[in-house]
Amino acid sequence: MTNPEATNNPAPPTPPPDPDPAVRASGRASLNEDWAATVVGLVLLVLVLTGLLPGWLVP
Amino acid sequence: MSEDISQREATRTDPAVGAALAGVAVVVALAALTRFLEQTVPAATKGTALGGIAAAIEYPVYAIVLGLLGNVVLARLGLRERLSGGFRTEFFIKTGLVLLGASINFAVIVTAAGPAIAQALILISVVFFFTWWLGGRLGLDDRLRALLASAVSICGISAAIAAAGAVQAKREQLAYTASMVVVFALPSIFLLPLAASALGLAQPVAGAWIGGNIDTTAAVSAAGAIAGEEALQIATIVKTTQNALLGVVAVALTGYFAVRVERSATSARPSAAQLWQRFPKFVLGFLAASVIGTLYVTAVGSSAAKPIIGTVNDLRTLFLILAFVSIGLEFRVAPLREAGWRPVGVFASATVLNLLVGLGLAVLLFSGFAVE
Repeated sequence: MTNPEATNNPAPPTPPPDPDPAVRASGRASLNEDWAATVVGLVLLVLVLTGLLPGWLVP
Repeated sequence: MSEDISQREATRTDPAVGAALAGVAVVVALAALTRFLEQTVPAATKGTALGGIAAAIEYPVYAIVLGLLGNVVLARLGLRERLSGGFRTEFFIKTGLVLLGASINFAVIVTAAGPAIAQALILISVVFFFTWWLGGRLGLDDRLRALLASAVSICGISAAIAAAGAVQAKREQLAYTASMVVVFALPSIFLLPLAASALGLAQPVAGAWIGGNIDTTAAVSAAGAIAGEEALQIATIVKTTQNALLGVVAVALTGYFAVRVERSATSARPSAAQLWQRFPKFVLGFLAASVIGTLYVTAVGSSAAKPIIGTVNDLRTLFLILAFVSIGLEFRVAPLREAGWRPVGVFASATVLNLLVGLGLAVLLFSGFAVE
C-alpha cells in the first residue's frame, strides 16, 4: 500500500471531476435567465413609464 | 464538415425550440384561466355559501392548482417532459420581482437592508451548518449535503443549481433537491400566511418570516401576495437579500470542495470574478427598478404616478402568475421516491429549525417596521 504523503515525490493532485453536463446546463440557463429577466423587467418598466405600453394593453 | 455538424445540431434543436414554445403557450393559457377565475369567481359566488371562501382565495392559489392539474394532464398525455423547456419559473419570477422593485420606495429598501442582511446572515449560517451537520450524522453524500444545506438555507432551487455547479453534484442529486424544495414550499405558501395571521403578526414581521423561511423565491412571492401587499414587499426584500448572498456561499463551497473534499491543490482559489459570476443579476434589476420608480413618483407626484405604477403592478402580477403556473407544471415526485427517507428527514428538520429561528429574528428585527 502506498502513502503519497510519505514519499518524496507525492502523486500529482487529482483534478476535480468534470461537472455533470446537465448540471452545467442548468447553471448556465439560470445565469442567462437572470440577465434576461433583468433586461425584460426594466424594458417593460420603461415602456410603461413613458406611456408606450398603456394600461389597457395589460390584461 | 463543421457545417454538416451545425446543420445537424440545428435540425436537432428545432423540435426542442418548438416544444418549448408549446410549453410557454400552455403556461400562458393556464395563466389566462387563472386571471379569469380570479376576476370572475368571487363575483359569481357572492351571496352563496362559497362566497366567503372564493373571496379569500388569491391568484397564487388558482395558478398553482391549475399548474398541478396541467402537470397531471400533460403527464397522462406523455407530453410533460417534451414541453418542460417552456416552464421557465426562474425567468418569470425574476422578471416579476424586477417589476415589483418599481412599486417599492428605494428608502424602504435602504431602511430594511440592515435588518434584512442581519436576518439573512444569521439564518443562512445557522440553517446551513445545522443541515450540513445533520446530513453528516445521517451519512449523506457530501455533495447532497451541500445541495440540501444551500437550498434550505438560501433560496431553494436557484441555490441548489449554484451549489450543484460549485460542488460538481450529479444531475439526480439536483433533481432530487429541486423536488424536495417544491414539496416543502407548496404547503408553506398557504400555511405560513395562515400561521402569521393566527399569531397576529404585523405585516412587515409576517413578510420577514415568510421571506426568511420559504426556500424558493417564487413561493415566497406567492405566500407574500396571500399575506398582503406590505408583507409581499418585505418578504421580497428579505428573499432578495438572501439571493444576493448566494454568490458568497457558492464561492465558499467551490473553495471548500476543491481544497477539503476533492483535495485538489490545483483548483483555482475563489476570486472576485467567480463571485460576480455567481451573483444573481436580477437583484441589480430589482434595485434599479426601485430607483427608477422612486424618481418617477418624485418627479410627477404620487397621485399622477398612481395609475402608471398600477399598470406596472398589473404586469408584475402577470409574471408572478406565469411563475406560479410553472411551479405546478414543473413539480416532480419521482426523484423523491428514489432518494429514501434520510434526506427528507434532514430537510424537514432544517425547515423546522428555519421556521423557529426565522420567527424569532423576524419579531426581533422587524417589529415596528413601517412600509411607506
